[in-house]
Amino acid sequence: MTPVIEMRNIVKMYSNGVVANKGINFSVERGEIHALVGENGAGKSTLMKILYGLEQPTEGELLLDGKTVEFKSPQEAIANGIGMVHQNFMLVPSFTVAENVVLGAEPLGKGGMLDTKQALQVTADLSKQYGLRVDADAVLDSINVGMRQRVEILKMLYRGAQILILDEPTAVLTPQETQELFVAVRALVDQGKTVVFITHKLREVKEISDRVTVMRDGKLIGTQNTADTTTEDMARMMVGREVFLNVNKAPQNRGDKVMEVQNLSYVSEVGRVMLRNVSFNVYAGEVLGIAGVEGNGQTELVEVLTGLRPAASGDAMVHGKVVTSKTPREVRMAGVAHIPEDRLTNGLALDASIEENLIVDRYFDPPFRKGLMIDRKMVLKQGQDLIEEFNIRTPNGQLPVTSLSGGNMQKVIVAREFSSNPKVLIASQPTRGIDVGATEFIRDQLVQKRTDGAAVLLISADLLEVMSLSDRIIAVYEGEITGVFPDAASVSEEELGLYMLGVKRQSFEEMEAYL
Amino acid sequence: MSFNNILQSIFSALFVASVLRISTPIILPALGGLVSDLSGAINIALEGTMLVAAFTGVVVSAYTESVLLGVIAGILSGLLVAAILGVFHLHLKTDIILAGIAINIMATGGTIFLLYVLTGDKGNSSSLASGSMPFIDIPLIKDIPFLGTAFSGHNILVYVSFLLTWLLAVFLYRTRLGVHLRAVGENAEAAASVGINVLLVRWIALLMSGFFASLGGLNMSMAYLTLFQRDMTAGRGFIALAAVYLGGRKPWGVLIAAIIFGAFDALSNQLGSLDVAPQLVQVIPYVATIVALVVYNIRQKAVALERMRSFQEHELTAQQAVGD
Amino acid sequence: MRKIFANAAVREFIRIVLAVSIALLLGLIVTLLVSEDPWGAYKAFLLGPLSKFNRFGDWIEESITLIFVGLSVAIVFKAKQFSLAAEGQLILGALVSGSVILFVPIESAFLRITVAVLAAAAVGFIWGVIPGYLKAYLDANEIVSTLMLNAIALKMYDYFLTYHIKPEGAGYTASDFLPKAYQVPSFMPKFAGNLYEMFSKQTNITHFLYIMIAACVIGWFLMYRTPFGYELRMIGANIKFARYGGINTKQVIVLAFAISGIFAGLAGAHLAQGIHNKLILNISMGLGFEGIVVATMARNNPLFVPLSGLAYGYLRAGADIMERSSDMSREMVLVVQALIILLVSAEGILPVIQQRVNLNNGKGDGVGTAAVPEGGSDVIQ
Repeated sequence: MTPVIEMRNIVKMYSNGVVANKGINFSVERGEIHALVGENGAGKSTLMKILYGLEQPTEGELLLDGKTVEFKSPQEAIANGIGMVHQNFMLVPSFTVAENVVLGAEPLGKGGMLDTKQALQVTADLSKQYGLRVDADAVLDSINVGMRQRVEILKMLYRGAQILILDEPTAVLTPQETQELFVAVRALVDQGKTVVFITHKLREVKEISDRVTVMRDGKLIGTQNTADTTTEDMARMMVGREVFLNVNKAPQNRGDKVMEVQNLSYVSEVGRVMLRNVSFNVYAGEVLGIAGVEGNGQTELVEVLTGLRPAASGDAMVHGKVVTSKTPREVRMAGVAHIPEDRLTNGLALDASIEENLIVDRYFDPPFRKGLMIDRKMVLKQGQDLIEEFNIRTPNGQLPVTSLSGGNMQKVIVAREFSSNPKVLIASQPTRGIDVGATEFIRDQLVQKRTDGAAVLLISADLLEVMSLSDRIIAVYEGEITGVFPDAASVSEEELGLYMLGVKRQSFEEMEAYL
Repeated sequence: MSFNNILQSIFSALFVASVLRISTPIILPALGGLVSDLSGAINIALEGTMLVAAFTGVVVSAYTESVLLGVIAGILSGLLVAAILGVFHLHLKTDIILAGIAINIMATGGTIFLLYVLTGDKGNSSSLASGSMPFIDIPLIKDIPFLGTAFSGHNILVYVSFLLTWLLAVFLYRTRLGVHLRAVGENAEAAASVGINVLLVRWIALLMSGFFASLGGLNMSMAYLTLFQRDMTAGRGFIALAAVYLGGRKPWGVLIAAIIFGAFDALSNQLGSLDVAPQLVQVIPYVATIVALVVYNIRQKAVALERMRSFQEHELTAQQAVGD
Repeated sequence: MRKIFANAAVREFIRIVLAVSIALLLGLIVTLLVSEDPWGAYKAFLLGPLSKFNRFGDWIEESITLIFVGLSVAIVFKAKQFSLAAEGQLILGALVSGSVILFVPIESAFLRITVAVLAAAAVGFIWGVIPGYLKAYLDANEIVSTLMLNAIALKMYDYFLTYHIKPEGAGYTASDFLPKAYQVPSFMPKFAGNLYEMFSKQTNITHFLYIMIAACVIGWFLMYRTPFGYELRMIGANIKFARYGGINTKQVIVLAFAISGIFAGLAGAHLAQGIHNKLILNISMGLGFEGIVVATMARNNPLFVPLSGLAYGYLRAGADIMERSSDMSREMVLVVQALIILLVSAEGILPVIQQRVNLNNGKGDGVGTAAVPEGGSDVIQ
């Protein structure tokens, strides 16, 4: 049987000399779920971008149903029945679900005007046909991540996609939402679609895929029937060594209560309650993990605790000193450090130098301030010291942060926040989207801080990270605490997932003693 | 002149007529500002575009002795200015604000320079016999006492500006291209991902913006007045920009905002007949704009605060209820 | 690092020289088409400012104003705040400084002049606080608010000049000349003898020259050596980062607008006290916008502002001379200026050179562009 997609000897070299794909032969059979796995930077995204017409290969050819094709743009790919759902959604916030689904190919009614009814109908029909539940007339701004993802898939189906590329679709979903997605993916395949599923979660590969292709370092390592391989095998193919989290954690030595959060609430600008009466404490020498699906108030919690947003009610205190509704500087002066969830948005000034990024919380006091001036020698020296201590790979500290890789950018943030000797360290998605080496380094540093006596609050979408780094875990759902697990080691992923989805909930009395 | 007289003159049909007359050269560029703003580019060059179109319309109509040709040339010149902005902003990556400022400087200098070359005068084009666009009496309405004076007998562009507001609203919300234009302004990447030609849409938006602004300019030199004066747009392109924001970036809102500006301007003319320094009166619309800007933004803030307060009250009482 | 910076600087320099050349060439073509004596006209334009001593003076005087305005714009643009307030600040600065000299009865010339200059700075500061506050605390679009404030400033200037400053019964709308005793002295000290005679008789280059030089140094120092400058630049680089890091972004934004206003106010004082020695109608005519051009050509770096200010002032002075000594009107030069702005600020106009810089760096797109104009790389050197 001719494969529906065949990519032959694909080479992709970028203009700066980086070779992302080094002669790849990749094929997909009609009607299969094909998992594509590999670490960040393995070249799987590049390969899929070539398939989707976003990038042009330097060498090699692309065959669709045995016929050579060439896609100059995603539109050509779409016209040939290939659709891709990106990790960051491509949606227009003020438009409705239906408007987003039909955008670019809107049904027209009388006199060439838009036919809104038709758009709603088509969206509802597709939604029903493939079991992808959406509210066709809801404004996009008001719906959750899971539904947005379904809107993206519907968008592709509306355009007649026969082959769907899903780029790490489960990264933002709960275990339960992931299950829901898997059901939909199977329904798609049952109705004749083909799915390419990019992921790095091997358990999901086992669960959903028919075949799996592993990539590493721009090369295709192998394609196998999923049933014939084990997760351990795949892991070895991916990195050539065991990848399971292996954090060296000294036994816990829990100290005094450092941060105290009491009945904290937050209401968003549009009037949505994002945090409701949240109370917990963080103690010296512990990592308190917050487990929750993204968008359940974690972002708001962190930003309220760090002074970036005002609380609607309630307080947070550090050593008894109120830090809510204070300025970010006041919060920092109280001993709180903050690794923000989005390093590019909050954590760094990309065009400023590394040195300058390292002083934003301290330039105004000695030794960095000398009289009216900033002491440039100190800035230089600290830059050199921190670059060395945190192993930031750069020729020098005067280069702009943009010249660094994602992992090294994150190290700049970590270097700054850790070197301020915080009493409380709030780390939000500390290892998101960075390479294995940097991830391990940052996780070790985080645990080290805790062992040294800092109170660490860890928020991560990576459940495994929360579970392996934390001493204690709190589950949150829709801005409320649904459960506390005093011993992080003794709770299972499934159990946590139930609390994260609000299916199970501990009573306040149950939680009180452990918060 | 007493206070009563002022009130009388404000509530007169003539005053309404003058508001319409004065508002039109704000409404038209404001619609232009709206289109480009929605597509994601703030068009500072409205002022310069108006000036160029005003000049071209006068010159061409004078030399061809055809108003129609003058108008067509004026529109084409406005599109050309928009195209220059498009080339620099969209292709050569010039910051749109700098490009806009440059175009305004070029328009000011270029029109005076050419005026001098053509007429030997740097002040105005009174030596050129340029034309005027037609003024229109509306049947029936023109014979009704108040309404006739207020709404009939205006220049055709006064009516066109209202018609264009309606057409623009239909375009933006009911047509494919209009929806694409808004999508591009809000999330260009998303628009591109579904095959919308972002560059093309932005080009269309800028050209539309130039079209509206050039009508505004023609309104200045071939209707409001029938000659070209140096710097005759006198900041209307910038006021139009303010109207875009005050109008909430919606066509009808922008129309109303532009009329409010026009009304203030007309008012200052009325008050000017009193023994009041004209400068003090003329400053009113600008102060009013800032006040409106402040009020608008304070209201936005207040809404957010109010939401938080209502939550606090609601939540606190709920807690007390639980506590009791 | 040095190498990248050097390449970037070279690239910038080539870009600016090319832009100016193309614009001047287009100006020449226009002149050839229009003028009876194109070569004479263009020569007057290009060489005029150097042809006579007093014309040299005109150039420097013009440039001093432009440099003040350029500094003003550079400071507020560095924080990525697109304030167009300089025009209004400058007009009010001129109004206030001229009024102080004319009407405030301070005996000592030194004191009266000092008070006048400080008052101009102060009014510029205040006229900056307003849009700064509106932007920082009420999120009001600064382009709209500053344009409105400019219009208000202009009306205020006209009003005071017409009704309170103009001498009773005068047939023109202008103030009296500033009293001789209270005019700002020539920059050339008296003991310089002949030179003093030449400069003080034929030019109006005054002590404002020294104030301008000091302003550039202070502006640079403020921007690159002080905590405030750091805050300003970080807000410009990424305002969310600045806020996250603990910088009081609102306060710094208000100050950026206000401090920018000080320099624009000084530009106004220079117009009233340095160039015209009286208050006239239409004293600015869009100088505030020209300041944006000066700042842009200097990449918002106070040390480069004098260079771009002198270059720009040269064009303007040349335009005046051309108008006076030929049949070309000075507005032709406005078109040339506009072309220079367009060409200089067009990031995409020299892609070939850009690519070569990138290849030389061997780093790919990121470094080459990032290290170029606004980057932090030129910051703490």
